[in-house]
Amino acid sequence: MIEATPYRVLDVGAAKLALHSPIERLHADLDRVYPHLPGTTDSGFADVRVSLLPGSPLRLRGRQVSLWSEGERPFEPYPIHSALPLFEWGSNYLLSQRLNAYLLLHAGVVARDDLALILPASPGSGKTTLTCALNLAGWRFLSDEFAVIDPDTGEVLPMVRPAPLKNRSIAVIGERDAAVLGPLYPGTRKGDVAHFVPDRDSTLARHRRARPRAVMFPRFEAGARLHCKPLDSATAVMRLGLNSFNYRALGPVGFHAAVELARRTKAWELHYGDLDEAIACIETLFASLP
Amino acid sequence: MSPRASAETALLLRALHAPIELDEPGWDSLLRRARASGLHARLAAAQAATPGLPDVVRRHFLSATRIAAYRRKLMEAELFQLAALCDTGFPVVLLKGAAYALQRRRMATGRFVSDVDLLVPAAHLRTMEQALRAAGWRSEALSPYDERYYRDWSHETPPLRFPGHSLELDLHHAITPVTGSLAFDPAPLFARAEPIAGTPFHALATEDQVLHACVHCFHDGDLALRVREVVDIDGLLRELAGQAGFWDRLLARAAELGLQRPLWYGLHFARAWLDCPVPGAVLAALPPPAAPLRRIMDTLVALTMLPGDLDGPPSPGVRLARAAMLARYHRLRMPAHLLLPHLVRKTLLRLRASVAAKKEAPDAGAP
Repeated sequence: MIEATPYRVLDVGAAKLALHSPIERLHADLDRVYPHLPGTTDSGFADVRVSLLPGSPLRLRGRQVSLWSEGERPFEPYPIHSALPLFEWGSNYLLSQRLNAYLLLHAGVVARDDLALILPASPGSGKTTLTCALNLAGWRFLSDEFAVIDPDTGEVLPMVRPAPLKNRSIAVIGERDAAVLGPLYPGTRKGDVAHFVPDRDSTLARHRRARPRAVMFPRFEAGARLHCKPLDSATAVMRLGLNSFNYRALGPVGFHAAVELARRTKAWELHYGDLDEAIACIETLFASLP
Repeated sequence: MSPRASAETALLLRALHAPIELDEPGWDSLLRRARASGLHARLAAAQAATPGLPDVVRRHFLSATRIAAYRRKLMEAELFQLAALCDTGFPVVLLKGAAYALQRRRMATGRFVSDVDLLVPAAHLRTMEQALRAAGWRSEALSPYDERYYRDWSHETPPLRFPGHSLELDLHHAITPVTGSLAFDPAPLFARAEPIAGTPFHALATEDQVLHACVHCFHDGDLALRVREVVDIDGLLRELAGQAGFWDRLLARAAELGLQRPLWYGLHFARAWLDCPVPGAVLAALPPPAAPLRRIMDTLVALTMLPGDLDGPPSPGVRLARAAMLARYHRLRMPAHLLLPHLVRKTLLRLRASVAAKKEAPDAGAP
C-alpha cells in the first residue's frame, strides 16, 4: 500500500491524532502548544486523520484554511492564521463522534495521586480556567474538554491537549506563575483565544488512567461569593447525563457508567467568583474524602 | 470489461462479506474508506468475530456499532409514534431502511439510518400529511416556488420533522419523479404491498423493494459515495436469491413497471463490485445500455460512488464525474422545457445568496 501523504502524529493519551499540512505556521504553533510530545511520523493506527490545506491565495477577504477528513470538509474554513484552533476544535469534534467505546463527558479532569476530580460543565462556566489553574496548583492535568470514562472499569483516561482560554481568562491564567500559553488568536467569533499548555509531567503521564474520586460542577460568576453544595447521587447522575456528548447514544451502557461514576464519587456544585478561593475549597474537600 | 474499484476499495467491499487479516496501518486505511462511504458499522458487523483484531480497531467497531444501534432505536421510536396515525383506510408503506429493519432482514445489521420514508397513494397524500402535521410534525418554511416544485414535479412532499427529533420523515406518493422518463402509475406497487406482521405498516413486495433500491441508487442527485446503496442491493439480492422463482419474478416485474434499466445497473454493479451471485442469464435477459454509454457509465459511476483520495478534496476527475451524474439526474428527472427554467432560477438564486452571504467560521474552542 502506498502512503504518500506525510502525517505528523500526536499521541494525546486516549487517542492518536494524525495531521497533514503544508502550512508552516501550523507546525510552528503545534511545536509551541505540544512541546512535550515527541514529534513522530509513524504510520500506525490513528483515531483521527486530517489534512489542513490552504485555500486560494486570491480570495479577497483573506486566505483561508480547510480541514479535510476522509475526503470531506465537515466544517466551514477558518482564516489561515487560525489553522491551530481549527485543528483543535475539528479533531475534538471528530473524536466525539468516534470514541463511543467510552462515556464522554464535557468536562475538565485533574488528578492527585491518580485519584481524579471531574469538572463537568457547559461552555462559559469557567471549566477551562479552573482546570488550568488546578494544573498550575500542582494537580495532574488529564483533560480540559473530555472526561473519557471506560465503562468496563470506571476509570478515566487522560486526553492531554492544550486548553483553549478565551478573552479575560487568557490574562487570568497567563499571569500565574509557571503558566505557559501558546500563540494568541485574536478575533475569533468567541473573541480572543490562546491555549494553555499542560505541564510536562501531565503529558508524560498521558497513558496512566485515574480512578474518579470526586465530581464538581463549577459555575463562575464575577463577584459571586463562594458557595459549595453537596449533591445527592441521583442528582449527580442526571447532571452527568446532561453534560455528556454520548450519554443517550450509549443507551444502557451510558446509564450504568454514569450511575457507577456517581456511586464511586462524591459530588458538589461549586459557585465561585474568585479562582484562588475555589481552589482552596477544592483542596480542602478533596483532602477530607475518606 | 468491468467498472474498476481501487485495490483498497475492493478490499473494503470484500471485507463486508468475509473476515480479513490486516496490520494496524491497514485497518486505519480500511476504516477511513469505510467511514467515507458510510459503511463502517457494516464493516464492524462483518468483522466482529475476526480473530486477532487490534484493540484500537475493536474500539472503533464498538463505537460504530453503538451509533448504528442508537440510530435504529431513534427510527423505532419514530415508527412507534407513526403507528398511531396509520389506522387508516389506505396502506402506509415503509420504504428502504425502515422496512428492512421491521422485516428483520440480515442486511439491516450495521446499516446507518438517516431518515424514514413513507409511501402512500397519491389520493391520500393530503390526508396523511395533515394527520402528520396535526400530530406535531413540521416542515421548514419553503418559498412558494420550492413548494410548487415539490407538489407538482417531485414524488414526495417537503421533508417533515418532529421538533426535537433528529430523523427526517419523507412522505412519497411515487418512487420515481412524476415528470421523469421513468415515471409510472404506482398503483401496482400498492396492489402487491404486504403487511409487516405485528405492525400497522406495509412493505413493498420483495421484487419491488429491489427495484426501488436500484431506482434510488442510480436516479437520485449527484450519487456521490452511493456505494452503500449498491451494498443494499447486493444484501437484498443475497437474501432473496434463495426464494423459488425470485429471479423470474424480478425480471417480469421490471418489464411491467419499465424499470429494466435501473435494474440492469443495480445487478451489474453489485456483481462487479461485490461479487453478488447474479445468474448470468438474468443479466443477459435485460436490455443493456449501448456499448459507448456503458463504458461512460462504468467510469463515471465508479468515480462518483466509490471513495477516492481521502487525504484532501475530491480530485478534479471525481468532481467532473459528479457534475456529469448530476446533469444526467436532472435530464432524467424533468423534460427540458421544465428543467431549463428551473436550473436558471436555481442558479440565479444561488449566485444572489453567495453574494449576500457572509460566511463565518465556527467558534474556536466550542464543543
